[in-house]
Amino acid sequence: MKSRCGELRRARPFLGTIVEITVRSDREQVAKEAIDRAFAAISVVQRQMSFHDADSALSRVNAEAFPRPVQVDRKTFRVLALARDLHRVSGGIFDPTIAPYLEQTGFLPEFLGGLRTTEKITSFADVELLSGNRVRFRHAGVRLDLGGIAKGFAVDEAVAVLRAAGVDSALVNAGGDLRAFGSSSFPIGIRNPCYPGRTFVSLLVKNRALATSAHYFADRLKPGARIGPFVDPRLRRLRGDLLSATVAAPSATIADALTKIVMLDPAHCSTLLNRLAAAALVFDPNGSTFCTPNWHETFKAAA
Amino acid sequence: MLERSGLETDIPSKIVKDWIPFVAAPAVIAGCAVPGFANTYLTVEQAQQAIFPGASFDQLNITLTPDQQKNIESRSGVRVRSRALKVWKVSGGGWFIVDEVLGKHEYITYALGLNASGSVRQIEILDYRETYGYEVREASWRQQFVGKTSQAPLKLDGDVRNISGATLSSRHITEGVKRLLATYEVALR
Repeated sequence: MKSRCGELRRARPFLGTIVEITVRSDREQVAKEAIDRAFAAISVVQRQMSFHDADSALSRVNAEAFPRPVQVDRKTFRVLALARDLHRVSGGIFDPTIAPYLEQTGFLPEFLGGLRTTEKITSFADVELLSGNRVRFRHAGVRLDLGGIAKGFAVDEAVAVLRAAGVDSALVNAGGDLRAFGSSSFPIGIRNPCYPGRTFVSLLVKNRALATSAHYFADRLKPGARIGPFVDPRLRRLRGDLLSATVAAPSATIADALTKIVMLDPAHCSTLLNRLAAAALVFDPNGSTFCTPNWHETFKAAA
Repeated sequence: MLERSGLETDIPSKIVKDWIPFVAAPAVIAGCAVPGFANTYLTVEQAQQAIFPGASFDQLNITLTPDQQKNIESRSGVRVRSRALKVWKVSGGGWFIVDEVLGKHEYITYALGLNASGSVRQIEILDYRETYGYEVREASWRQQFVGKTSQAPLKLDGDVRNISGATLSSRHITEGVKRLLATYEVALR
């Protein structure tokens, strides 16, 4: 039965990366339609949560949520609520209000209307989530960037669509934020951040999400620089202690967000990882690898 | 608040206390010899049917003049590398274009479907290749895997096609589409 399952793979540019969807199903037409609908779900996330698109719900919030609240769609609000919870449970490490700082360092385009002062330190505590999917900033100058969570959310949205379509199994990979579901496992390579052309280890991923944050492609954004866009919200400084962090979690949204937390605070993230049923694998600055004790039981090696 | 957002999940039995050194099995480490990777998603014909199901396609033989090339470059701000277009007129209206973009580490062939009005209908990646300069230099080291791929349990690029941590930019595709939209205005419309 399983051997008759055909595999269909498609890739389209979304969310500033190349999103790849692999579907295994014995019905080709079902698989094709499921992939189309999954990409449509991803494009909705892109439209609503892009920091770069001036027409997105997020950009409206950034432009208008002070002093009056702005109403957003249900999904954007859900992501904001998750971001708020992650901000709380991470002790403020996960903070989508670092956008102005990233603009200053050149990782995000300057917002229309120019850069406002960041002398007043903002945090997600300055964001109010109100009834009726409304968002309000407590003061001017707050700006949100969901880049640390929206890609994972888009992957989860696509997986929900594929699951509902009744395909046997599928993998959605948005530039390294990925999630597999269904009866089959998918071999996934983890890049060696010292040699991005090589994978360091292969994993068989089944019914699980995996996300990796690393510094290896940051030089594309800032020539010569080997820093990634990781800002410690408490210090407002770019950090680069780890070379890369890979997190396995039940959902891609959580995995995506947790990679940022692990990168910023590897010494204190274990309780949170544990609480969210997540495991992690990291490269330290010397290129040595460490994992959480639950990593090996989470994965079987691919070889 | 956790309940509302669904953050609470089943707590695993083992408690994460500290980081432990990660040691991969030797066979797994051997699998790290991935010489970049190549993915083929669709042939031109498959992409045509994916973007315009049931339509027929009429390939046009168009080579841009130097003037058109300059015009496209000034409209889009993107360099035109090839003056020969791979373009099809679609029955029932619309255009189908196959284009290539070259990044620092990657080489991408993609198809752009345009509606009859010239708006973007769909983009499909046909072929994606990652390349790294230093791998060429390491060719001799790679030799040890030649001939082993068919039966050896190594997971080489054919198997490990999915990479976590490949925060690959689609910026070059965005630029390519910009250039093709200008090409439409200048040479197809």
